[in-house]
Amino acid sequence: MIKLMKYEFRKTLFVKLIVLGAMALAEIAFLVGLWGDKERTLSLSILLLTFIALGGIMIIGLASVVILHRDVSTRQSYMLFMTPNSSTTILGAKLLENGLSIVMAGACFFALGALDITLLFAKMGQLEDLWQMIMSFLHSINQEITLDLPVMLSLMISILGNWISTVTAMYLGVVVANALLNGKRFSGFLSFIIIVILLWAVSWIQMQAADIKASIQTVFLIDAGIALLASLVMYIVTAQIMERKLSV
Amino acid sequence: MLESRSITKKFGSKTAVDQVTVRFEPGHIYAVLGPNGSGKTTWMKMAAGLIKPTSGEVLFDGKPVNIESRKHIAYMSTEPYFYTWMTARDVGRYYEDFFEDFSYATYKRLLERMELTEDMKTSALSSGMMAKLKIAVTLARDAMVYMLDEPFNGIDLLARDEIRQTILERADESKVLLLSSHLVEEMEAIADKAVFIRKGQLVDQVDLEQLRTEKGISMADRYREIYGHEGAQA
Repeated sequence: MIKLMKYEFRKTLFVKLIVLGAMALAEIAFLVGLWGDKERTLSLSILLLTFIALGGIMIIGLASVVILHRDVSTRQSYMLFMTPNSSTTILGAKLLENGLSIVMAGACFFALGALDITLLFAKMGQLEDLWQMIMSFLHSINQEITLDLPVMLSLMISILGNWISTVTAMYLGVVVANALLNGKRFSGFLSFIIIVILLWAVSWIQMQAADIKASIQTVFLIDAGIALLASLVMYIVTAQIMERKLSV
Repeated sequence: MLESRSITKKFGSKTAVDQVTVRFEPGHIYAVLGPNGSGKTTWMKMAAGLIKPTSGEVLFDGKPVNIESRKHIAYMSTEPYFYTWMTARDVGRYYEDFFEDFSYATYKRLLERMELTEDMKTSALSSGMMAKLKIAVTLARDAMVYMLDEPFNGIDLLARDEIRQTILERADESKVLLLSSHLVEEMEAIADKAVFIRKGQLVDQVDLEQLRTEKGISMADRYREIYGHEGAQA
């Protein structure tokens, strides 16, 4: 499994380096803007950092879906399916590597964001006052709304969990298209419909669970738990389809 | 050691392999012959566990081919299949990571013999060099069954001699070698048994020595008898 994960990491390395490179450039721009008192550069870099952090996590997930598609539909599939590894192990390595990459990228971006906000507040004291005002305003609207560290962390866990379940649903769609609908008309469209239905089902369950009276932090964590559980179920189904029906 | 029982593979309405029952014993080199599109590649891919049969089964040592049998069956596809970012070194390391019977030292020796170097990018190889690389990495395994699909495709005469020699060195009493090709004369010099496939069906399985002594004909003659004009076109 570890060896398979090593190669999965290698396959998506280029995309990851592009995301990291873009993040590094945006961070340099942020620091130049902050210490050089260049407001335009600063604001633009903050926008870029936010965009790259969210987009980067999405791109890392999507890259692994593209790789899976290539691994089940081109001659490169022999490299995987010739080896003495079951489909469950092969898919598990893909999902674990991608899940870890998403979580690690998310953690890095979150830490970088926290560091940048701290630097921003240290350099521009008035921003901290503005932040406090926004918090007080939100609190006056709803007592439940707070944006402290545990809430931000649980929100991040929820976003990452949901994105992992989205990627897993796309894995299932790709495998269904190649193993069950291969050669049939509209196979791409049908697998897209399957992905949409699966994601709708996951969010429906999450909405039912959200009715439970709990803190916003708990709701986020329940959300993430449901998403990860759904990912596990979709992974098992996908691996079974690969094992029984996939010809490469 | 390796056999298929009534194996059939259909792609939609087209039957690529039709009820093929055949058995391969250790200690022999088999030529799997037939014109393009006769079903040789599909049969091999089913034996390698890459394609699921529509019906029937392939058995290795009496058990259906599975993850365990992949440890002992070395398959070389006719198409290039290495990841494009790989060098020849990466290809060797990959096989070393996944196949216990792979010897990196043998691989290095075979690369040298094929006039390839470890730093060559697979994406930059000519079709002939790619064919040599596939042969080198496959034969660097100490497998029980070797299945080489069209090993001489796109390879010049001198390199063919080299490959033929390497294949022969791999053969021994405990191994099965299956070589598919439509280059009949090339196969005559290597194989001792031949299997003829036509339109997905097994037409004949012969011992080449017996064919020569009893019927007085060569493998190429038998090929002409079976395929006639259709074989000449391939």
